[in-house]
Amino acid sequence: MGNLYGDNGGVVQEHQQNSDFVNYCNKMQGNLVADMSNCGSGDLRARKNGFKANETEAKPVNGCLKNCSTNSTTCQQAKGKVCPNSSQALLTPAKKLKELAEEHTTKTSFEEVPLHTACLTYLGFYLLMILGYINQLLFVPKVAKEENRDGYVTLYDAFESFYSRYVYRRVRDCWNRPICSVPGDEVTLKDRVTKDYGWSFQFTGTETRCLNLGSYNYLGFADAKGPCAEKSEKTAREMGLAMTSSRVELGTTQLHLDLEQLTARYLGVEDAIVFGMGFATNALNLPSLISPGCLVLSDEKNHASIILGLRLSGATTKVFKHNNMRDLERVLRHNVVHGNPKAGGKPWKKILILVEGVFSMEGSIVRLPEIIALKKKYKAYLYLDEAHSIGAMGPNGGGAVDYFGVDPNDVDILMGTFTKSFGSAGGYIAGSKRLIDYLRTNSHAHCYASSMSPPIAQQIYTSMSMIMGLDGTDTGRQKINQLARNTRYFRRRLAQMGVITYGHEDSPVVPMLVYLFSKIGAVVRTLTTRHIAVVGVGFPATPIMEGRIRYCLSAAHTKEQLDYALDVIDEISDTLGLKYSRKPREPNPIEY
Amino acid sequence: MLKFLKNILLSLYMQYELVTCIYMFEPWEKKLINSFVILTLGLVLFSSFVYLPSYFETFLQFVSPLPQKEGSASYTPILQTQKMSMS
Ligand SMILES: Cc1ncc(COP(=O)(O)O)c(C=O)c1O
Repeated sequence: MGNLYGDNGGVVQEHQQNSDFVNYCNKMQGNLVADMSNCGSGDLRARKNGFKANETEAKPVNGCLKNCSTNSTTCQQAKGKVCPNSSQALLTPAKKLKELAEEHTTKTSFEEVPLHTACLTYLGFYLLMILGYINQLLFVPKVAKEENRDGYVTLYDAFESFYSRYVYRRVRDCWNRPICSVPGDEVTLKDRVTKDYGWSFQFTGTETRCLNLGSYNYLGFADAKGPCAEKSEKTAREMGLAMTSSRVELGTTQLHLDLEQLTARYLGVEDAIVFGMGFATNALNLPSLISPGCLVLSDEKNHASIILGLRLSGATTKVFKHNNMRDLERVLRHNVVHGNPKAGGKPWKKILILVEGVFSMEGSIVRLPEIIALKKKYKAYLYLDEAHSIGAMGPNGGGAVDYFGVDPNDVDILMGTFTKSFGSAGGYIAGSKRLIDYLRTNSHAHCYASSMSPPIAQQIYTSMSMIMGLDGTDTGRQKINQLARNTRYFRRRLAQMGVITYGHEDSPVVPMLVYLFSKIGAVVRTLTTRHIAVVGVGFPATPIMEGRIRYCLSAAHTKEQLDYALDVIDEISDTLGLKYSRKPREPNPIEY
Repeated sequence: MLKFLKNILLSLYMQYELVTCIYMFEPWEKKLINSFVILTLGLVLFSSFVYLPSYFETFLQFVSPLPQKEGSASYTPILQTQKMSMS
């Protein structure tokens, strides 16, 4: 079902995008779970954006928090007040935390949706729904019938199939677009046409070369030529394409061991373990780390793989508002004080805070130093999913940990994927030797899943050593700097134009809000005619209100390419009416 | 000049299509919605031209503090004001 919805412009990571839909559903149900186990401890359900949520008044849990006024920075003050009389001293002084919180707010761009746009968005959505139902009554297409299935349960959920047939179908040409080249700085789309409004597509046989603003190719290692590709090819010739066995049986080679060593060195921790699939790294390792009776505090914008893992583990999950430290502290404090209500108020076995480094739909960055301070204060564990941040953030490409300059040993479990910055596939978990040894004996992904394919491992190995500068050149460093410059430049130019973007100024994922469902389609289509490939994201992957276009920057882009893209975006946001922002605009031209 | 006007009209129509999500519909659905919108608009305009002036007059007479002129209108406004005050 996922790929009907995949909001992925088909540019590359299909599975990622498809899972975003699942992610959304999971989130909804995850929230339900949270509610049931929650016994009315405040409102965890608010699925509003975290920045917004910062301003809403949370229910104070106890006296100490009552003096908190309405925003997160003052929350830090309150913490400062609490500090002296609590026995646990914070390692980072409260004042510094306050500064950090302020810095986070200034660096994060966010704007409320204009009221009339909000109304129009809902109006448009209802229109789509109503006409969809009329359409469904009048014309039942052949594909929509299940034959010879009397007495069986229907295969499709009614609302889901309705939505994909009568709402999503109308703009289906903007997603799952087939490509026929390496998704580097440019990508070749296979052209297709539809004669029946999205029910079916025919290839025209022509191709369009597009500037690729849709791939997670942050450091530009996805390339059909160059040292990475050559070495992988060599490995494929020597070792074959697959190990056809799991790691604990016959699937371990020297390459895998080297890769694990290098990953541990790269992250600055004791040991690491690698898996053949990033999604499975989360989904299958979380159940071996936590069990029923543990409490997990999960960010509301977490990825589908994490949510699946949490469900499989059977641990109690509570969701906190996106990147909202005040809400996190409230939930943490409540649960430390009251314990597990199902076990009669006994303490939880473990409390695990689960966050991502860079959130792929919001473009925001985790507030790591503050979370680490909280985690130390309340003696919880921290699991950090660096899928999008590893390689793309920090002066040495070490992810969010590197970006904030915190000690990697402060994060108990460092997880990440090789699918994005390294231009490969797979995932890792890194941490202390004890943790990794435990996973080596207990993880399902290690014991039962097939091991990573050698050319894939080689690609990671080569690109990682390039980032670390082990190949004797400074290509890796150049790429990191290029990405950082591209990101700043692109984000600032967009802000100058007057479109609304979300997220942190250093995050290479740039969501641009277009709100209306039809505008997502219009933007993707118009940009394709101008030879730019982007990804549109709409309901159900985001809330109805917040349809968006997501640009992913890459070190492979040059300034000229970005300038071209920005000029086109400027032009079309005039014609399509995307300049919603009411903030003052930077009058001077922006330097690269 | 004509072309310029046409362009402006076209872009306005595009904006209208986008904000109402009509952009995404099939042609027959577009026609349906557009005729619905035109019909509603037409009815509103028609009624406001035909009925509104007289209603407005009655209303003014009803609210105005000045004593009413006798025999000011042929369609017995007194009757209507009575109705209104009753409701
Ligand atoms: C936060 C996060 N975790 C895990 C994954 C899964 O990684 P993979 O695509 O390698 O399966 C993704 C995205 O794809 C992600 O965004």
